[in-house]
Amino acid sequence: MIVCVAVVGHQNNPLYIQSFTEADDALKLHHIVHCSLDVVDERVNNPRKSGPTLNETFLGLLYPTENYKVYGYLTNTKVKFIMVTTDLDVRDADVRSFFRRFHAAYVDAVSNPFHVPGKKITSKTFAESVSTIVKSFGFSSAI
Amino acid sequence: MGREVAESCVDSLLTEMVSTYCHRFYANKPELAARRIEAIGYQVGHQLSERYTMERPRFTDHLEAIKFICKDFWSELFKKQIDNLKTNHRGTFVLQDNRFRWLTRMSVDPQNESQDNSADGENKVAQATSMHLYFPCGIIRGALSNLGIPCAVSADISNLPACSFVVRIKA
Repeated sequence: MIVCVAVVGHQNNPLYIQSFTEADDALKLHHIVHCSLDVVDERVNNPRKSGPTLNETFLGLLYPTENYKVYGYLTNTKVKFIMVTTDLDVRDADVRSFFRRFHAAYVDAVSNPFHVPGKKITSKTFAESVSTIVKSFGFSSAI
Repeated sequence: MGREVAESCVDSLLTEMVSTYCHRFYANKPELAARRIEAIGYQVGHQLSERYTMERPRFTDHLEAIKFICKDFWSELFKKQIDNLKTNHRGTFVLQDNRFRWLTRMSVDPQNESQDNSADGENKVAQATSMHLYFPCGIIRGALSNLGIPCAVSADISNLPACSFVVRIKA
């Protein structure tokens, strides 16, 4: 199950952060997202010299903690997507397709002429589509 | 997804936008009108670059980003690529389009040309055409800025429908 997703701008400014847990642990999840930004920077500045994965938008598993796994994605425009999941057995392909759909939803949200670039995304449509994507991720990995 | 709009509508919108800004909103301040039109282009370019760079690896240097503008970005906008790209390898790029789509339907009014003889008439024509180029300039600048390349873009009309865009990257 995905417990938290976040969109972070190119100056590490939060654009959207949403947790999907019943418990009151939003702060803890925000902390995990915050820590992951350093890992993203590290990945980008010291890329592994391995042919095709070089400069790919999907950054893969950033780091595992005791209860969570944190995945990252960095767009061409230096916007970071972070996803925190409790699933321990996650297929890479699932995460990739999740980020692809998440990115598409983000692009639709920022293409709104009333959205101010660099400001938090307040669109309800975006929130709805993100939660749909998050829910469907849990579903497809359960099968 | 993939909603379409007739090209003639886009052409007409562009012409109407330029004429509204030049003759209604800022009739006596052409510089201000130009700046506003450029700003609209900037926002459009900013948003389009986000969409068109989905699903592609990140760019490693400026040249790669400029090549993306010349090839994929231009194809998405105008169904053709930039015809010629020149650079001095010090941050200046010249993108030449031999048949720029938004200028193909533009022509000089022959009556007008004969009345205002010589330099004055020509000057007016050049000014009117260049007003239509602030929008695409803004698009290029917006797209490159969003890719992390701050720059200044200006346009140059050699002979209609050909035109070239000069991109100067700010160090």
